[in-house]
This record gives sequence, structure tokens and C-alpha cells, in this order.
Amino acid sequence: MKRTPIVLGGTLAGLIGVLLFRTTPSHTSFTTLPGAASVSGTATTPASAASAAPAKKASSKKTSSKKTSGKQAAGATPTATASGNLASSTRSATGPEVNYNWGVLSVKVTVSGKKITNVAIAMLDDGGNPRSQMIDQQSIPILEQETMQAQSASIQSVSGASYTSAGFVQSLQSALQTLGV
Amino acid sequence: MGTIVTIDVYAAAEVTGSGLDVLHGQLGRAQAVLHHADEVFSTWRPDSPVSRLRRGEISLAQAPAEVAEVLEACAAARELSHGWFDPWAMPGGVDPTGYVKGWAAQQALVAFSDAAFSDAAFSGAAVSGAIVNAAGDIASFGGLGNAQPFRVGIADPAAPRRLAAIIELTGAIATSGTYERGNHLIDPHSGQATSGAASASVTGPDLGLADALATALAVAGQPGLALIEALDGYEALVIGFDGGKRWTKGFPLVELSRI
Repeated sequence: MKRTPIVLGGTLAGLIGVLLFRTTPSHTSFTTLPGAASVSGTATTPASAASAAPAKKASSKKTSSKKTSGKQAAGATPTATASGNLASSTRSATGPEVNYNWGVLSVKVTVSGKKITNVAIAMLDDGGNPRSQMIDQQSIPILEQETMQAQSASIQSVSGASYTSAGFVQSLQSALQTLGV
Repeated sequence: MGTIVTIDVYAAAEVTGSGLDVLHGQLGRAQAVLHHADEVFSTWRPDSPVSRLRRGEISLAQAPAEVAEVLEACAAARELSHGWFDPWAMPGGVDPTGYVKGWAAQQALVAFSDAAFSDAAFSGAAVSGAIVNAAGDIASFGGLGNAQPFRVGIADPAAPRRLAAIIELTGAIATSGTYERGNHLIDPHSGQATSGAASASVTGPDLGLADALATALAVAGQPGLALIEALDGYEALVIGFDGGKRWTKGFPLVELSRI
């Protein structure tokens, strides 16, 4: 499935928005984390339309920052660690370092063809705050699992023990965008 | 409450330009609904109207109007569940939390979808559906952009990072159990912490009621399925501590899975 990620952040208090589009079907994901202070985000829009070939998408996208802050701006360029035949090769990319409510994180994703084979936290700095650490310990393994699970089971959501994090999704989507997935 | 809420929007075609601006506006409205619900109903905030009501500092008439509205819906859910869901039997005074999370997510979905569909700039975006997931309780309308229904996994209570089942979602699904945050369920009949099932999921048109019924069913266990069977539009799946699964006749099960 072709996917044209658009990562958009708002400047509303307590809001991190992550928009993710697929051509069929289009899909927009938006996560709200209550209790946050004002959050600024970056807007990353592909210059080419969804019809571009995956290999082109990865190289021709343009990053434009509407509002940036702190480490998010510094880490806004995803780095690809492999290239070549994007249709079948196994390759990895690390998403930008993204501010989330409890610190800064980035996500590393490995894909084979169009399939995600692994997802992991590449960098995490929650400032050593005990509450942050508690939330991270609970949520990050679940986020990693949910990413794999959602793909393998063709499901849109999970009922039950389900946690989401905008920062995780944002970094993951940038990494996927780099890989043209 | 500290709950994380995700809103996923599906469209047949890419949303751009003014459609995107409208979408952001609508998401902002949905977010405002959620924050307002947290301010009014949080039992963790000592100054919230519900906390003050619980301490007897204000009367129901002095609380915001939606408190009475929610408590009325809770009373209806108590009756429908034959007392297995009872916010008035909670220690420390009336606690509608078991209804409020689902109710707030449903309100957020309504806030998002009402204006999204009435806005001319957005109509070109051909939104096919949306999912609001409030920490595992899900309200939705519509489906995927290719006219397929949404499919939703139910977490396995024995291993919450795995799925126990997959359903086709129409409307809402709430899941309650003891695995997620320890044993937080109270038997309204005895006042003691208890649970009759490892997990209980309820589907139906309204997430507030589904949430309350799932809470009731997690306490009542498999015998409670008969209560849900008798309700129009609501279906349920109960997973026992031994992993055994029972469900109502109309439960929209796609597959039982061991993913």
C-alpha cells in the first residue's frame, strides 16, 4: 500500500498532531496527550504527489518547517541507512528526534519490501523523571508491538490495553517516508 | 485521568489544502471536548466538579449540566446491567469513571464528525470514517476509504501485547478487565474488589454504554452474557481466566487469533 506521510504539528496547548495519509485509503492519525504545555511541531510535506514512485518519494521530498522548537528542529532530517531496490531489499531508517510529552525520542524501523520487519527505539531521553520513566516503560514496548501487530493482522486499532504516543508515530512515519514505504 | 486518545481519520483520497485546515479545526474541537470532560469528571483532580460533588461540597444542581446528564445515563446503565455496573456503590462516593471515558470519546467523535461533514471545504475530502481510541475504548463511524469495514483487534488479557480476537467494527467497542491496571473492579453487590472474567468486550452504537456494560461484564463474568444478549444493538465477548472465550450470537467476530 502506498503511503504519503505528512507529519504536521500544531501549536495548540496540549496537542501533538500526527497526520498520516495513504492514497488508498487515506488515513489521518491524530494523537492528543492531555496535560501537556504548549507544543510546537514541524510540518513535513512531500513535494511530489502520491503518484510518485516510492524511490522518488524518498529522495524528492521537501522538509518545510512552519514552527519548530528545540530538539525537534535539530533532528528533523531522517537518515536512511540503505538504498537500492526499494521494492524488495531489507533496509532501515531512523526517524527524527521528536519531542513528546515526557522527553525526546526517535524510532528506528526496518522494512523488507513494503513490510515492517522490526521497529525499535533508537534514542530516548526522558530526563530521568520518574513519571516519564514509568510511562515510557509501560508504553514503548506496547507501541513497538502494536506497530507490528497492526501490520500483521490488517487491523486499524486495538481494544483493550492500548497506548499510543504521537512522538513515536511521528518519528516512525518519517523513517518510513525515508524508505518510501 | 491521563488517558491518551488517538483519532484516526480515513478518506478515499488524499486530504490537502483547505480540507486539511478544516480537519485540524475539527480535531481541535474534539480535543477541547476531551479536555473539558477531564476537567469536569476527573476523580484525580481534587478541584474538579465531580470530586467536589463526591465530597459533598456542591450539589448536583450546582455542578455543570453534563454531570447530571452522565449520572442519568449511569443510572440507565445500572438498570440495564441489573446492578453489575453501579457508580453509586464505589468506595468514596459516586464515581462515573466507568462510563465517562467512553462517553467522552463518543462526544469527541461527534464533535469531530458533525462539523467535518457540514463544512463545504471538507466535503471534497470524502472522509469515509474515523476512529477515536481512548486507551483501548473505541468509538467510530464509517469505514476504510475502499468501502471495507474497520477491523479491530481485542487485546489478549493473558498477554496484552497480543491479540485474542479480531472483529469488524460498526460503532463502538469497549474492553474492560483486570490485566491493564491491576484489579480496579468493584463488585457493586459486595463492595469488594473482584472480577468474573479476565476481560470483557462490548460492541454497540454508543461507547459510553458499551464502556459501562464492559465494566459490568468483567465483574459478572460469563453468566452476564445473557444480559447483553437481551439488549438490542449490543454484543459481547468474555474471556475467562483460563483463556476460554464465550460471546453473544451477534458478536461481529472475524477470527479468534493467537497472533
